[in-house]
Amino acid sequence: MSKSTIRYSGRTRARAIKTFLGQFLGYGGAQLGLLCLVFFLVTAAMPNILVGPLQTAINATGDFLAPPSGQHLLGTDEVGRDVLNLVVHGARISLTIALLATVISLVVGTTVGMTAGYFGRWVDVWLMRLTDFFFVMPSFVLALVITPVVLEVMGRGREILGFRPSLFVILVVIGMTSWAFVARVVRSQTLSLKERTFVDRARVAGSSNFSIMVRHILPNLVPQIAANGALVVAGAIYVETSLSFLGLGDPLQPSWGTLLSLAQRAGAASAGAWWYLGAPGVCVLTVSLSFVLIGNALDDTFNPRRRVIP
Amino acid sequence: MSRRIGRILLRAVITLVMVAILNFGLFRVIPGDPASLLLGGARTSVTDEQIEAQRQNWGLDRPLFPDQALDYLSATLQGDLGYSFKFRGRHVADLILERLPATIVLVGLAQFIAILCGVMLGVYAGWRRGGAVDHAATGVSLALYSTPSFWLGMLLVVIFSTALGWLPGYGAYSPGANVGSLDLALDYLRHLALPVTAVALGLIGQYVVVARAAMSDVVTEDYMVTARAKGLTGGQMLMRHAFRNAMLPVVTLITLNLGYVVAGAITVEAVFAWPGIGGLTVEALNARDYPVLQGIFLLLGVSIVMANLIADLAYGLLDPRVRQ
Repeated sequence: MSKSTIRYSGRTRARAIKTFLGQFLGYGGAQLGLLCLVFFLVTAAMPNILVGPLQTAINATGDFLAPPSGQHLLGTDEVGRDVLNLVVHGARISLTIALLATVISLVVGTTVGMTAGYFGRWVDVWLMRLTDFFFVMPSFVLALVITPVVLEVMGRGREILGFRPSLFVILVVIGMTSWAFVARVVRSQTLSLKERTFVDRARVAGSSNFSIMVRHILPNLVPQIAANGALVVAGAIYVETSLSFLGLGDPLQPSWGTLLSLAQRAGAASAGAWWYLGAPGVCVLTVSLSFVLIGNALDDTFNPRRRVIP
Repeated sequence: MSRRIGRILLRAVITLVMVAILNFGLFRVIPGDPASLLLGGARTSVTDEQIEAQRQNWGLDRPLFPDQALDYLSATLQGDLGYSFKFRGRHVADLILERLPATIVLVGLAQFIAILCGVMLGVYAGWRRGGAVDHAATGVSLALYSTPSFWLGMLLVVIFSTALGWLPGYGAYSPGANVGSLDLALDYLRHLALPVTAVALGLIGQYVVVARAAMSDVVTEDYMVTARAKGLTGGQMLMRHAFRNAMLPVVTLITLNLGYVVAGAITVEAVFAWPGIGGLTVEALNARDYPVLQGIFLLLGVSIVMANLIADLAYGLLDPRVRQ
């Protein structure tokens, strides 16, 4: 086992990473996506430095539904809060929810897919039936009924890990319902990987099943997981925005979807307050498009012959 | 072939059973005894005997499994989905059936428009890959694909309803419209225009992307070279060979897509106060009307499983390689 690791020396790995980055960054979409993403990540990292603490109805500074001006670059909402302030703070909440939900989804999807593919037989049959269910039922539809019930059971009082309860529930539910596609991709890849010589060699050398899966199969799955992970983030943003828009978010920690929901309730569309509903929407569109572009570029780099989306 | 159909049917049945289990189990974990809920919060004026009588009346004194579960199953199969909390005492099934037509009209028309525009544009973009139309269509489609359709709806309201005043952005009818007149039909169509556009725009992106990908795969196949060698013109090649083969993945996507279409429609309906399932979902969510939510989930679950079943079966009929 130690011999197989020596063969991938530091220099070979560095060269491989360099080739990969060269190819990946060759795609215009990847450059654009990364640029937008870095911008939003920086924004989300330090909202208080950029625009000050989150404004509430009490410390709001502006007029009601005032259009953009020098003082309020993106105008104000129906209680006089600065929309730029809300959107910047929303970036942190929306991105955190989407990224954490994706982590859950990738962990569950990879575990289920790898276990099913590696052990085969009845394990495979039953895990794939479970996967079929989550594959068929869209995350949004499941989250729509699961979220309010879980909230009811937990109560809406205290915060969990710094999240308001509804946001925490939403991110866990999105993560637990959006892993099916990852599981399918990982399973089919595992099926071919487990027939390779290096797996036989590890088994002869006395490695346990768990160690073979984690040390030998998992590293080879990284390309598929990364490419699909980017698309899972885009999906998670979509589901979170839609759920919050329907009123499942939390006004005390407003994500972009919650802001759109508040704008809808305040009648921003019929009042012609395009800045209020425009700003969060443009953010959702940009971030989700960035992840789609990055996911496609990763997919193209790793397997140039098979393109899911152009 | 028959073994394949058997496997597909089995999978659909298993998924349906899981929908039923989730629907039964999920709404049993909510705290609060339904019997005391029905009698109101006034615990002092209600005796324990009365609560016990109510529990017996609703079958809550019997074990959760198998008695209550079997009751649930047989009632659901007979179309009895229970009673709404918010719309006091109304049957959930009646409420859903009342709202269903509006959603079917919205989703059906939007799908039709999106398929027509999306597939045509996608096929053309894939056929003339790398051209100006291809670049423009791909860029716009990816953007539309990443945009929540309800936000497109809000933009449409701001532009066409508030700023320009061309089309109404709220409800399905103007107040005071004459019932049964031609005006009423026109009024309905005018109200339908913006929501349908919002749902359709959200779908067009996906259809363009998939149709284009399928088309570019087909164009490089050997049989296309053969077709050209036979002396077929571009149009003949497109219609006889490329289009029909490229439609396979597109047909599957359209059928599989139902869940996402309905999900998009629910949020769009919330923007336009369209009196369909989406509007009902929002009302049920806000009032925590669990029986209605449960009914909507069952409806969505069953339709999505059915759509998948049709997609799997259709794929076998359309693709001779699978049929063998």
